[in-house]
Amino acid sequence: MGSDEILRTHLQELRRGTVVVASLIALREPDYGYALLQRLTGHGFPVDANTLYPLLRRLEDQGLLTSEWNTQESRPRKFYRTSDQGESVLGTLLDDLAAVQTSMTGLIEGVDR
Amino acid sequence: MSSLTDRYLAATLGSVPAARRDEIASELRGSIEDMIEGKVADGHAAATAEREVLTEMGDPAVLAARYANRRLQLIGPAYYLIWLRLLKLLLAFVPAVVGIVAGLVELADGARAGDAIGEGIGTAIEVAVQVAFWVTLTFAVLERTNTPLNLPAWSVDRLPEHTSGERQSRLADCVASVGVLALLVAYLPVQHFRSFVTTTDGANLPILDPALWTFWLPYLMVVLVLTAGLEIAKYRAGGWTWPLVGVNAVLNVAFAVPVVWLLLRDRLLNPDFVARFEWLSQPAHLDRVATIAVVVTIVIAVWDVVASVSSCRRRR
Repeated sequence: MGSDEILRTHLQELRRGTVVVASLIALREPDYGYALLQRLTGHGFPVDANTLYPLLRRLEDQGLLTSEWNTQESRPRKFYRTSDQGESVLGTLLDDLAAVQTSMTGLIEGVDR
Repeated sequence: MSSLTDRYLAATLGSVPAARRDEIASELRGSIEDMIEGKVADGHAAATAEREVLTEMGDPAVLAARYANRRLQLIGPAYYLIWLRLLKLLLAFVPAVVGIVAGLVELADGARAGDAIGEGIGTAIEVAVQVAFWVTLTFAVLERTNTPLNLPAWSVDRLPEHTSGERQSRLADCVASVGVLALLVAYLPVQHFRSFVTTTDGANLPILDPALWTFWLPYLMVVLVLTAGLEIAKYRAGGWTWPLVGVNAVLNVAFAVPVVWLLLRDRLLNPDFVARFEWLSQPAHLDRVATIAVVVTIVIAVWDVVASVSSCRRRR
């Protein structure tokens, strides 16, 4: 395994999970799969389509997203929105992300908690 | 609608739960069309955009597995180690025991030694393949049904002893015990065909009542095979543990009680075999033999259980 490969694996591990957080934040404003993909990519969360589409369904099954079909436009699209339950899970996840960041900063600066 | 996308959808949806197929189909189709439009808007050639998008989406089987939340592994980390241990444990003795028995039966049937060995090895390989297949199948099903095994968690107490000398002597113990048990298992069918006792006209006389083959003799063979498994489990655990002591007690009872019962009812020995010997065929003498055999059986069983209990206690 080359050093590029090692780095890629570690970055992937680090990024895993942030897609869920980013999706829950982005879907406070309802959106459909492809548009969400574009928005996430635009905000620096590159995500594969074949990961995101199944992920949205899974989050919906878990009750973190709600969905609604929009048939007004040229083709019917399924719009997802972060549910109340999703919002509360998101709060916890964001708190944890902040805690990780704080701990990391503390560790870097050598300050005991 | 172009046929590539249709084919992609068909390939993906085939293995997605039927209840959600239609909805996933419309959503996925819309998403793919959105992506193609996006590509074209970005200046890609319309002719190749569809191919590019579908390439990006990747293998339909992988996508379907993600939609269905299906695992892309036969046996995952939750079951792998238990699967491996069980497989090693069973392969350590089951093929060998069955192979030896098959070879001996062949030999007793009058086959030449070479043929009997060939039969034994062939049977052992066949049994090994069967064991591996069924154990793996069972665990693959467990993996897919997500069945909790509720096994006791690992604890420091399960660390194997380190003294290599002791370990070696335990290995020797284990091999000797399993060997004796294998001989015992093999003896039951062998005595049926070649007991070295013959009728007056030279035919072979089984020592044990052939009527017992309908249930009791196969049953005793199974108990003996399980006892051999217990010896191996004991070796792997580094000696007696309380669960193993419990299993040992159960197996001893499972062996001794039927044997004693059969002896007391005069059902263990072949009546023709008894009739062959004048001394044995007298009821008083036969009773005496039965009584001695009963006492020996009970003493061996009790001694074995007591020894395992005291050995386990010393280890703690």
